[in-house]
Amino acid sequence: MAAVLKSEARAAVDAAARPNVLEGERVTKRFSETVVALEDATFSVPEGSFVSLVGPSGCGKSTLLRMVAGLIPMTSGTLAVRGEEVKAPRTDVGMMFQKATLLDWRTAVENVLLPTELAGRTTDADRKRAIELLHLVGLEDFEFAFPRQLSGGMQQRVSLARLLQTGADILLLDEPFGALDEFTRERMNIELLRIVDGIGATVLFVTHNIAEAIFLADQVMVMTPRPGRLAKVVDVPFARPREIDLITTAEFNEIVAEVRGILGGH
Amino acid sequence: MDVSPPADRTERRRLATRRVLTHLAIFACVLLVWEAAAWSGIADPLLYPQPSAIAASIVRIFFVQGNIWWHLWVTMHEVIVGFFVGTLLGISLAVAAGLSEILRRYMKPYVIIMEATPRIALGPLMIAWLGFGFSSKLAIIALVCFFAPFVNTLTGLLMADEDRMEMMRSMRATKRQIFWKLMLPAAMPIIMAGIRLAMASALAGALVAEFISANHGMGVLLTRYTQSLNMPSAFASLLTLTAIGFFLYRTMEIIEARIIFWQNDAEMHRVAKRRGAAWSSA
Ligand SMILES: Nc1ncnc2c1ncn2[C@@H]1O[C@H](COP(=O)(O)OP(=O)(O)OP(=O)(O)O)[C@@H](O)[C@H]1O
Ligand SMILES: [Mg+2]
Repeated sequence: MAAVLKSEARAAVDAAARPNVLEGERVTKRFSETVVALEDATFSVPEGSFVSLVGPSGCGKSTLLRMVAGLIPMTSGTLAVRGEEVKAPRTDVGMMFQKATLLDWRTAVENVLLPTELAGRTTDADRKRAIELLHLVGLEDFEFAFPRQLSGGMQQRVSLARLLQTGADILLLDEPFGALDEFTRERMNIELLRIVDGIGATVLFVTHNIAEAIFLADQVMVMTPRPGRLAKVVDVPFARPREIDLITTAEFNEIVAEVRGILGGH
Repeated sequence: MDVSPPADRTERRRLATRRVLTHLAIFACVLLVWEAAAWSGIADPLLYPQPSAIAASIVRIFFVQGNIWWHLWVTMHEVIVGFFVGTLLGISLAVAAGLSEILRRYMKPYVIIMEATPRIALGPLMIAWLGFGFSSKLAIIALVCFFAPFVNTLTGLLMADEDRMEMMRSMRATKRQIFWKLMLPAAMPIIMAGIRLAMASALAGALVAEFISANHGMGVLLTRYTQSLNMPSAFASLLTLTAIGFFLYRTMEIIEARIIFWQNDAEMHRVAKRRGAAWSSA
């Protein structure tokens, strides 16, 4: 319930009134002379907003996320999180991958505790929180299961709980449910919205699915390949919380058509 | 865990019993035919002793004369120590090489040369350098046991998948944490496969080393019995080695299942249950 109230409150605040937590200016990444993964991307992300990245394979979505995460350096441009230039992974930025990337020799809760363990000593409060997070992502009764005992969807839930355990409030999600079937993905998306709204996180969400991108986001970054470019940022004005019926409305489909048009021109 | 209905379970147990009985019957037939062949003179009993003679020899060398114990001890001592030294050296060197690009580059030609050389061919040299006793055997077995763990550990460490590496880095893991919490455990299955290979070659290496030159050990005993045409005792020694080999293999299998429990369903369930219990009691 609290999550719903909070998200309504969020929608009421004008996006422009919120400070930008992430700002990129002419961000460029070349892997070689010929491979330009991303060229001159300029963007800003207001605190607490949900931003989707869509675009065909190879347009530099993962590359952009990895630069924001501080995992790879950029070739030129500037990239700042909360006003500080990104040089290395930060505690307030967390990333989730298409693969669950769990450690097979750890139970679900031990996987969730990994970030805490890496940061230092694990307290009883951490342990309690890890269990709570597993319950939050819908994994009661699976706290002590090993990854191999879990389905793909459940593994991604553990991975999400682990991301939340880091305490990061800027979440970079690189096709987190891309490997899941249609039904599971839809359910996971809705739960993801509920969870990130609950903690007021800022989200960068990569997907191949245009409808999904629009349904989830306040803004859609539309990207085009060769060289990777940020073609346009499309605003999504619908109020929250959103119902799944939204995707059948004319307004929604207008935005779908707009995004499709941008992508189709390339 | 067995969750099948009881009727089904008794049925399966009955089938298993029958299978064991069939095996025993076939084995008994083989022994009988062999025994008959020796009695009838088809096979020369001097070279191919009959089962009853071998059985008598086993009793004699183990319990009457008891002379096999000393040789068994010598060989096993060499095998165990050589195995540990070779395996530990192999793994540690591979870890060092796995962590250092430079070391890896400069080690590579030597590794290739050593890999191309049949290690056992160094046996006579080792004996020339280190004498007939324990140290030359230790060196030979360690050498034979070095490679599989070395190559497998290196392969395993370099195999760590990029996604999980990035996941660790995104959580600000240090190099040391990445090694201990990701690379090493992830490499464990392939490291264990290397160790199992080393265990198998350790026994063979010890015997060959003793064949080359030694005063004690199962290799010596076997040569001595064969040369004096005491075939029943030679066979008895051989069977003893088979039993030892089987025992070592089984032991490794059990240890392996425990170490890489997450690849073995039964062990995994056991560990999951134990960790759950430990959590709620903490
Ligand atoms: N480590 C790398 N070395 C060289 N080239 C790379 C590397 N990583 C990515 N690239 C190239 O950069 C471009 C953008 O890749 P990126 O992974 O960011 O695309 P993407 O939009 O995430 O695609 P997908 O939707 O398939 O995940 C591609 O042409 C890719 O081949
Ligand atoms: Mg990608």
